[in-house]
Amino acid sequence: METDNQGQPCQKWKKKAYGGIQPGYPDNHTDSTFLQEMITNANVVKRDLSKAILDSISISQYVSIVSLVVSIWTHTLNSKIDEHSLLKLDICLLALGFSVLLVTAPSFSLQLLVKYFLNISFFTSGLYVLAPVYHTLTRSISSDSIWALTVSLLVIHLFLHDYSGSTIRPPGALNNPKLTSNISLNASIVASVLIASRLPSRLHVFAIMLFSLQVFLFAPLVMFCVKKYSFRVHLGFSFVLVGVTLAITYQLHRLFFGTLLVLIVFISVICPYWLIRIQEYKFEINGPWDEAKLCFDISE
Amino acid sequence: MEENRRKHRILMVSDFFYPNFGGVESHIYYLSQCLLKRGHKVVIMTHAYGNRIGVRYITNNLKVYYIPWRPFLMQNTLPTFYLTLPVTRTILIREKISIVHGHQAFSTLCHESLMHARTMGCKVVFTDHSLYGFADPGSIHMNKILQFTLADIDHAICVSHTSKENTVLRSGIKPETVFVVPNAVDTAMFTPASTQLGRDEVVIVVISRLVYRKGADLLVEVIPEVCRLFPNVRFIIGGDGPKRVRLEEMREKFSLQDRVEMLGAVPHSQVRSVLISGHIFLNSSLTEAFCIAILEAASCGLLTVSTRVGGVPEVLPEDMIVLAEPAPKDMVRAIQEAIDMLPNIDPQIMHSRMKTYYSWHDVAKRTEIVYDCAMNSSNKSILQRLPRYLICGAWAGKLFCLVMIINFILWRLLEFFQPAESIDEVPDMLSLCNYEDES
Repeated sequence: METDNQGQPCQKWKKKAYGGIQPGYPDNHTDSTFLQEMITNANVVKRDLSKAILDSISISQYVSIVSLVVSIWTHTLNSKIDEHSLLKLDICLLALGFSVLLVTAPSFSLQLLVKYFLNISFFTSGLYVLAPVYHTLTRSISSDSIWALTVSLLVIHLFLHDYSGSTIRPPGALNNPKLTSNISLNASIVASVLIASRLPSRLHVFAIMLFSLQVFLFAPLVMFCVKKYSFRVHLGFSFVLVGVTLAITYQLHRLFFGTLLVLIVFISVICPYWLIRIQEYKFEINGPWDEAKLCFDISE
Repeated sequence: MEENRRKHRILMVSDFFYPNFGGVESHIYYLSQCLLKRGHKVVIMTHAYGNRIGVRYITNNLKVYYIPWRPFLMQNTLPTFYLTLPVTRTILIREKISIVHGHQAFSTLCHESLMHARTMGCKVVFTDHSLYGFADPGSIHMNKILQFTLADIDHAICVSHTSKENTVLRSGIKPETVFVVPNAVDTAMFTPASTQLGRDEVVIVVISRLVYRKGADLLVEVIPEVCRLFPNVRFIIGGDGPKRVRLEEMREKFSLQDRVEMLGAVPHSQVRSVLISGHIFLNSSLTEAFCIAILEAASCGLLTVSTRVGGVPEVLPEDMIVLAEPAPKDMVRAIQEAIDMLPNIDPQIMHSRMKTYYSWHDVAKRTEIVYDCAMNSSNKSILQRLPRYLICGAWAGKLFCLVMIINFILWRLLEFFQPAESIDEVPDMLSLCNYEDES
């Protein structure tokens, strides 16, 4: 046992708070066990460049879907598409989405089918009843404000969108939607209403509202189901979709096409590379000072 | 040796003080009282509480400045950076303050006052009372502000060794500048019951704010299980909060109305009478830098069962506390162990042991050592101090330097328009209890 000058035994420093000042050790003594229990980067996922690029396909796919919607809007506003073809488009999309949901559902159940069908019919009839209201909503507002507002709302929508899943979950999914995904959904709905209010007749309004809301509300759900079903189908479908979108926007407007192309290259190539580069700065600290995590679910 | 002790003139600053009740508030109060007894001059500065604005005197002529700033969020004043400079400068000159001691990282008034004190050349000490995380946005901003305040500090005090590790990691200061001076408990106020309670039924007491952070959800899982396993156990729950509804629901669901008693909010003066009606004290917090409630319970002679989080393992020796992981199964196991230990517990012996382990006079003595070290550090001019801020970060360092330079310029302007000679200095008043503590 160590002793000091007076021959008194020196006690070892203990990590305790009681008993006053420890003899032989000042209060700012930093022991060799200081920060011994610190754990760094325990939960950090090692990321792979190819996987990051493949995962970024979901984002490019959604950006191209939104661009397609904008193209349809522009064609409708320029009277290149009339209301009857729009209605036919709506019905085709509805049928397509429905069939994809049924094919990818893990177990086919008649109850699910009836539930979806009822929801869709309520939704469609509600829209039809409200179409006259949307028709005259923005009559007193100038067109420039409408275009500017629509563009800002769509940017907010793309920025805050929940790309990892869908705000409207298939029944049985657990995660609650976050605040930002709700805000993005509302932004897209308001943008659709603004565009719809610029159209000449009520049937136009109904058709375009049905089309926009179908895409904004149900496209994420359909894509989520496809991704869950098979990744390769998802990948192939995304490539086709991006190609089709680029072709359509090329014929529509050159600047829009250019912006879209740059955006897709940025999302698919530059961002994953950047993410991998800055991962090396990650410094996650855990230790006894962390707030304890409850191991059970608090269901209210 | 006692006469050669230097007498300091200390300003305690925090947003949290009487009439608010809490850990930080009682720490400032008790520490100030004990420092007054040791012959130092202590003045406290805090924001206005309701109609309480201006200078008040509390016990033993302890002067409190309730400056005319209203709290805007969770008892914190609105951070205005420079608007508190005039009032802080006036107080520092009037009271001839040599050391400014700030409390609690969450208090905006504390950070601002420490910044002004540094600009004016006073010595600065900071005490951190809580643990913070690193990952969520609130913590990241808070840690950056703490890094700014602690970049140019003389010394810091933490209330436990775990808290010291946490503070050093958050702010990046050298560990040698951080002293560990724990909190204490007023053992004269928390005495055990004169007659020991009967042992045929075991009473478990819980007194805490019923919020997520204090583990109210763990209580909801643990209490029914314990009541099922041990038929002779009764619970007394004191305290109020958002999670009280969940506890009431649990009572209804498992029909525990006669075995779980909910007292609602317990005023601080009645905490002792609630504690002495029980055998075991249960603390289920998810995070604690230092838990004074455990000290109060141990001083009243209760055996403690607590979650092993933060600084709790350092607070009591192993025979006075049973620790458990913050999971319901382990807590039930710990309660069983505590019930088995109960026959060997004598409240009076526990109380006398607590008197030797913790005392506010000891805390004041150790804080005085920190003040002496702070006064011995050299005075540096503003140009010598600025490099300490530059290392805080690529962008943040330059921003912090800019903030300090503007503060310095504003201080110089104030010196010109309102010279220090025109501010009356307060004469020293003799303290009523002028003897020195013999411990």
